[in-house]
Amino acid sequence: MLRKLWNLFIAFTRASNLGFGGGPALIPLIRVEAVDRYQWLDNQEFADSIAICNALPGPIATKLAAFIGYKIAGWMGAAVAIIGAVSPTLIIVVLLGSLTMKYSNSLEFKAMIEAVRPVVVVLVAEAAYDMGKDAFPTGSSWAIAVITIAVLFLTNIHPAIIILAAMLIGWVLYGRIKNESSQ
Amino acid sequence: MLTQLWDLLIAFARASNLGFGGGPAVIPLIKVEVVERYHWLTNAEFTDALAVVNALPGPILTKLGGYVGYKEAGWLGVFVANIGVILPTALAVILLAGFLMKYSNSPALKGMLKGVRPVVVVLIAQTALQMGVGSFPNLTTWGIALAAAVALVWLKWHPALIILGSMAFGLLVLR
Repeated sequence: MLRKLWNLFIAFTRASNLGFGGGPALIPLIRVEAVDRYQWLDNQEFADSIAICNALPGPIATKLAAFIGYKIAGWMGAAVAIIGAVSPTLIIVVLLGSLTMKYSNSLEFKAMIEAVRPVVVVLVAEAAYDMGKDAFPTGSSWAIAVITIAVLFLTNIHPAIIILAAMLIGWVLYGRIKNESSQ
Repeated sequence: MLTQLWDLLIAFARASNLGFGGGPAVIPLIKVEVVERYHWLTNAEFTDALAVVNALPGPILTKLGGYVGYKEAGWLGVFVANIGVILPTALAVILLAGFLMKYSNSPALKGMLKGVRPVVVVLIAQTALQMGVGSFPNLTTWGIALAAAVALVWLKWHPALIILGSMAFGLLVLR
């Protein structure tokens, strides 16, 4: 049991800390650990777990760690896998963050920051574009987008409300199947 | 202090649990909490934080939770922000796994996700615009943005590489 917990911790630490670029980058790395190296799941089970996790919000690494950890070693397994996925990252971030805060007034730092800000804008804009390619399959998708823009621009409504409303609309428009075929 | 910890928990739990669509989808939500609602960072500081953490591995929520949490309340803040990010999601996955195995392909769920995707795209685009407002003080920055776009889309450079590259450029050229 201890061995299993240790393996879970190591596997998720390794995967998480080579995953540059966020969520999707981590999936193949976790697969290597969970399917190839430790055989905790087979390929089909791994694919199913991705599908399940995609139906829920939250970071994919956390969800997969919870799911696989729980499957292998119950609650302790889930806890240990999550800690592995998260702690090394956190330590690095905090160290870097405190360095940032300490030197934020140096000329060098300000120069680096000035150069990097446009890059961040480009990266985020590209994320919108990338997601946008698959997000407008029908005319009503565009309508939803336009309404969102209007609401954001004209009101102070929290994006969370817009998200929940869109999910409701999505369910009403696309999610209900009429039972004509059950004759 | 206690209120602050509670706020951190709630803010990051909210952002984390409405983030449908993976990594980038949570960025606007975190921004609403951290910049607009709680004023823990300014718009510019948020852009900077995003830059720093994008060069690092790991889930974006964890990293931003760590950064903001530490800034506000030291290691306790880090811990609490990440509890908000992790706990509801982990519990949901474990408790609902059986249920979801049956329904993850349901038309209802697919319909909901299809409905929310355009909203997420709009939110992310809006975030890019908001961050853009303070990020282009001179012509050089536009040049950097152009170079970054080329590197990202045509040369397919890894984002971390582009970020480090631009920082090096800034150090050498802009100082």
